Amino acid sequence: MDLAKNKTTLLISGAILGLIAVVLAASGNPGNMAFCIACFIRDSAGAVKLHTAAVVQYFRPEIAGMLLGAFIISVATKEYRSTAGSSPMTRFILGFVMMIGALVFLGCPLRMLIRMAAGDLNAYVGLVGFVAGIATGIVALKKGFSLGRSHETSPAAGAVLPIAWTFLFVLSLAVPALFAFSESGPGSMHAPMILSLAAGLIFGVIAQRVRMCTIGGIRDAVMMKNFDLFAILAGFFVIMLIGNIALGKFSIGFSGQPIAHAQHLWNFLGLYAVGFAGVLAGGCPLRQIILAGQGSSDAAVTFLGLLVGAAFAHNFGLASAAASADAAGGPSATGKAALIICIIVTFIIGFVPKKK
Amino acid sequence: MRQKQEKLITTFHTTADALACEKVCKEKQIEGRIIPVPRQLSSGCGLAWACEPSNEATFSEFLKNNKVEYDAMQVILF
Repeated sequence: MDLAKNKTTLLISGAILGLIAVVLAASGNPGNMAFCIACFIRDSAGAVKLHTAAVVQYFRPEIAGMLLGAFIISVATKEYRSTAGSSPMTRFILGFVMMIGALVFLGCPLRMLIRMAAGDLNAYVGLVGFVAGIATGIVALKKGFSLGRSHETSPAAGAVLPIAWTFLFVLSLAVPALFAFSESGPGSMHAPMILSLAAGLIFGVIAQRVRMCTIGGIRDAVMMKNFDLFAILAGFFVIMLIGNIALGKFSIGFSGQPIAHAQHLWNFLGLYAVGFAGVLAGGCPLRQIILAGQGSSDAAVTFLGLLVGAAFAHNFGLASAAASADAAGGPSATGKAALIICIIVTFIIGFVPKKK
Repeated sequence: MRQKQEKLITTFHTTADALACEKVCKEKQIEGRIIPVPRQLSSGCGLAWACEPSNEATFSEFLKNNKVEYDAMQVILF
């Protein structure tokens, strides 16, 4: 079946992905964090002790599943292309920026959709910032921004990240003592491993077939009035909404939302950075994983930027604190400063003319 | 639903090249539009240029003359 055939099949594909997220949420993944790419990369960074925040350490099978799912389906459909050479270090920085922005907001754009579908109004503030960031990125593209073209490389090069990450995942099962696992907090909350892995694999396969991208969906709608990729996001959102209502997890408001804060400016700016950097990098964190799975070493480097960004975010106290009964939560002073620096750096990358 | 028609689809190595194509086409009043790369042509998510298929040979020459680098051209139902 061609999932990308038309808007209806794309909508159905998004709905299936939404259903996967609902199942994971009902099976133990943290509240409103059914399938958050940034959170799961952050947890995985903690599991391999790149940071030591005790509450966010778990080698998430979903990430390994997505990389492997995209790799397998792209090889099976002969779409696997090993490419590299498009400004790798700039992409690393853009990945880093995306992670800092996501951890100030407390979630990647996929979690933004999940939070929106649960009634978290802070996520709608984030959405405004996200769209503004994408619009800024589009302006940079129209002014001639480019990371340069990639080139074909030896087939093995593009397989390094999917294989290495799968190896780490297997190692986390075979020799768990080598890894860190949270005993409390979001990192301790997870669906059964087999279910998470299967969900990641299916998610990776479908996302590769339909080219799911939270940034691409909005970019195409804004730039070209094309709603193909947006249809996937719509299907995902609607099923999550229905799932949350059915499970009694829908609650409209700014306060009392799981793992969130109501610092509006920082919710806006956090996802502004993700949208802006994501357009320049050619895709949201989810899309980077899929591209890395189908052979892009450039996307793999962006993934490493996300991973290192997560480590920095927790080692330097840049990630926001969730609101609680006792505290308003939000980013620390260093978190705010880091995010501002990240946005400035992204402006420099996007708008300072380069010699041709 | 929009009826699919044969179109000449030009793909590019970078988004900047696609937007450069759009710019020169607008300047020279060449009909066509920027679109997301059709799924049957690529698993990537870049931009492409769609125009009437009768233009193929001259359009290729036109892009070269205007120093717009492209990846491939293909006529498909779009």
